[in-house]
Amino acid sequence: MEKFKDIIRQYPFLGFIIAFFILMAIPSIFFTDLYQSHLSSLIFINIIVAAGLNIVKGYCGQVTVGHVGLYAVGSYTAGCMFMYLGASLWITLPVAILVTGLFGVAFAIPSFRLEGPYLALATLGGGEAIRLFIENGEFFGSTYGISSISQPELFGITFDTPDKYYYISMPVMLIAIYFSFSVLRSSIGRAFMAVREDPISAAASGINVKKHKMLAFILSAMFAGAAGAVYAHLPPGYIHPNNYTVIEMVTFLAMVVFGGLGHIWGGIIGAVIITIVYDLTRPLYEYQLFIFGLTIVLTILFMPKGIGGFIDKYFIDRRFKKKQAVADK
Amino acid sequence: MKKIKIIFSSLVFTASLLMSTIAQAENIKIGVSFRMLSDVGYKHGMLIEDTVKMWNSQGGINGKKIDLTLYNDECKSEKGVANATKLAYQDKVHVIIGSSCSSVTLPMVPVITKAGVPQIIPHSTSSKITMTGSEYIFRVPVSSRFYKIVQGKFTAEQQGKKIAYIYVPDQASMVFAKEMMKYMKDEYGVDPVYQVQAGEKETDFRSFLMKAKAANPDVIVLSGLVDETVRMLVQSYEVGIPKSVHRVANSVASKVEVPTNAGKAAVGVVYSAAFAASDTRPIAKKFVKMVKSKYGVTPGHDFSQMQDLLDMLKPALEQVNFTGNLAADRNAVRDSIANIKNFTGLASGPISFCAAGSPECRDGNKTPVMIKYTRGGKNWKTAVAGTVTFKPSDGL
Amino acid sequence: MLLKTKKLMKAFGGLKAINKVDFELPKNEIRGIIGPNGSGKSTFFNLVSGVYDPDPGSYIEFDGHDITEEPPHKVGELGLARTFQLLRLYQDMSVINNVMSGYHTLVPYRFIDAVVGRKKIWDQEKVIKEEMMDLLSFVGLADYAEMNASELSGGQRRLLVLARAIAGKPKLLMLDEPAAGLSPVNVDNLMKILMRLKEKYGLTLIIIEHILKVVMDTCSKVTVLDHGEKIAEGTPSQIKDDNAVIEAYLGKKMDDEEMRKALAV
Repeated sequence: MEKFKDIIRQYPFLGFIIAFFILMAIPSIFFTDLYQSHLSSLIFINIIVAAGLNIVKGYCGQVTVGHVGLYAVGSYTAGCMFMYLGASLWITLPVAILVTGLFGVAFAIPSFRLEGPYLALATLGGGEAIRLFIENGEFFGSTYGISSISQPELFGITFDTPDKYYYISMPVMLIAIYFSFSVLRSSIGRAFMAVREDPISAAASGINVKKHKMLAFILSAMFAGAAGAVYAHLPPGYIHPNNYTVIEMVTFLAMVVFGGLGHIWGGIIGAVIITIVYDLTRPLYEYQLFIFGLTIVLTILFMPKGIGGFIDKYFIDRRFKKKQAVADK
Repeated sequence: MKKIKIIFSSLVFTASLLMSTIAQAENIKIGVSFRMLSDVGYKHGMLIEDTVKMWNSQGGINGKKIDLTLYNDECKSEKGVANATKLAYQDKVHVIIGSSCSSVTLPMVPVITKAGVPQIIPHSTSSKITMTGSEYIFRVPVSSRFYKIVQGKFTAEQQGKKIAYIYVPDQASMVFAKEMMKYMKDEYGVDPVYQVQAGEKETDFRSFLMKAKAANPDVIVLSGLVDETVRMLVQSYEVGIPKSVHRVANSVASKVEVPTNAGKAAVGVVYSAAFAASDTRPIAKKFVKMVKSKYGVTPGHDFSQMQDLLDMLKPALEQVNFTGNLAADRNAVRDSIANIKNFTGLASGPISFCAAGSPECRDGNKTPVMIKYTRGGKNWKTAVAGTVTFKPSDGL
Repeated sequence: MLLKTKKLMKAFGGLKAINKVDFELPKNEIRGIIGPNGSGKSTFFNLVSGVYDPDPGSYIEFDGHDITEEPPHKVGELGLARTFQLLRLYQDMSVINNVMSGYHTLVPYRFIDAVVGRKKIWDQEKVIKEEMMDLLSFVGLADYAEMNASELSGGQRRLLVLARAIAGKPKLLMLDEPAAGLSPVNVDNLMKILMRLKEKYGLTLIIIEHILKVVMDTCSKVTVLDHGEKIAEGTPSQIKDDNAVIEAYLGKKMDDEEMRKALAV
């Protein structure tokens, strides 16, 4: 077992290949109906957004409340490219990632001068502006939304049902997580954290604060763009500005906070749990928002580092005890 | 140990996702996806729940009990699509009722069509929905394609052709204004004297109203959701648009909040709807009384359409011979609903469906009614200004 | 000369925090900077390290580069490290990550390699980590590597700050009150470690310190600032006898005995 762990640690890529095959097998073993595939796709999309948000919010410490706007940019880039050019996901996905990355630059600029709540307000304005721009733009289908966006095709298979689309959203999610892990575990991730903890001190260590803030915003925007494009093509392929409001933003934030801000697994754990809990509480629609508000408040009060911090502490404690046991002997 | 428990319980959550619901083959299942956010939204949900409870206590349908699954979609397409998928594949319902917002119903159509579940729409009016050509979709309310004609004709012939439009970006509001503009252009060759799209959740429309006033119109069309409609009406008097200018609102004006909150400003507003609370038929009087005593509001056409839908659905379900084969049963339910001819309930006109999946067949109510507020405030009153019954293909 | 300033000036409104300071520091020297509160010591550090922009007419040169207008991270990249009076530790990061982020400028791999996650990154990360663990054990913090920096004691924090500054292998290390708030035993310990680090890494040091004993014992030369001006410069023993210095500190002349007491030598 130890040996296996070592191998994974050395070749993180292997871990993802194993995860890929496990996730490939899950639908045929466990899933009993199409809805579970649909929900899984939604979970994967949320994971991509939350993992990206964790980079900029959790790691780099930049309070952005406009991320849902970037998610909308990703969706509408894909949607418009389909509507006007008939492009499929294979083209819209990379383009959406690039375009959203460019929007990330715009979101990063206020972060050079603003901090904390002021930055939150500026990005909130940015995110809402994007949504209102879409809503009032005939070009974007305004409140009609963009409908019947096509599903991708590969090797003669059209991924037009939830169970098939699972095999699109899942690999995209894995690749996104892989990138986020690689970046965050490298010196860049450390630099992000240093910028979050103390920009002046980070600069004294030779870390270019502006560059890293910019990088964090662009990277996380790209994640949001990818998620947006995958969502746009999710059957039945319909996007509407109503799905990109502040409420969605709060949900994404809740995922990251609940999962653990600045924890490498933070956004992922949060996205999985919150999406599933949301689904299980669907029949309790009267209390749903109450339950959510309560979860966030309780998390911040009693688990400020979220589930990720909890797990971390468990492992560190265990390691410490092990060490102590060895020392005692 | 405690920590392990917590980690473990989160795993159980995950596992419960994977568990399938235990199928109860004997019962008839109805799924609802609905905007249950506002006060009135909840009351629509309660109306369904109470009605189904009543059916069950009266012995169900042909001895079968009815399971009702109610989900909220918050007027968001993402939630609506998830609800439809869940109802169709996980809850395995026989028929879906929903939704309120056109932008949610529209993407639900391909989902339920693929799954083969019949869906009846209680509220959405956007003409695009039935134009998708799905065989599984049925609409109880009046389609926006009829509203535009009746409103256009009434306005052009009785009120005037110099029209200013102010509308908000909500889909139904926008469709109403745009389709009316197009109708006026096509039929009478007149362009709007002024038109503007206000911002979402706008609260101050006075600058738009001033400009509209400057254009000196005969008629001013104020198309918005409930709150916006109320504000626009009140503010139109504030900026001094005279009473002689006719004010026209979309079918949202049938909601109780409009006359209650707009007060005097609601007087004279003309709108088209599918039901008038001032309807003098005994069945309508009884219904208004029932809703008033049970839910504490005077029903607009949202309530009546929901009631009509349920009243139509029950006999249709009684016609179906449930075999236990889900796909066959769903198709049987669809065919049974498609067989409904000339249902006369609370609605302004008879509701008929037919077999083909076309707008001609599936836009059930073809008789919008023109209603005028004669008194505003809490004890508001309406009068019927006229009704028109359209041919199924009109307005396409 | 490793560091050179010419006519260094900085005014905050009407107050001249630093006024025409010429400063030269050769390699391998330990320089002390002393002065009463508000004399401009920390401002001098902030100007040199790029946190503040100096007023026009100033000139700062480090290791042959003109760094007058450079932002702090550029200065850091050139090999000028500093610590802060308020420590500015990365509280919510582990001790090892604190030190490793000090190594940032020396990380050998490129951004794109990190994104793709090539294997050589992890090998290099391993090497960096080992090297930093060595540094941590040198300052005596190896056992705390995985702990959060916020869990350390005051003395350990000062050591960690030192280790973080040295992690980037600087040519010049500027210490802003490294021993403030430490007990005499800890001060001795810190100074011992500092001297060993200087020898090991061949550092040049500038130390601001209020505890004059530290300055007098360790520094080969001392610069005295008062009201933003350089009033004296020389070996510790020269400074001890400098009238201007004594006046700045005590406001009057006094005899040898009194002064020895005042400076606690």
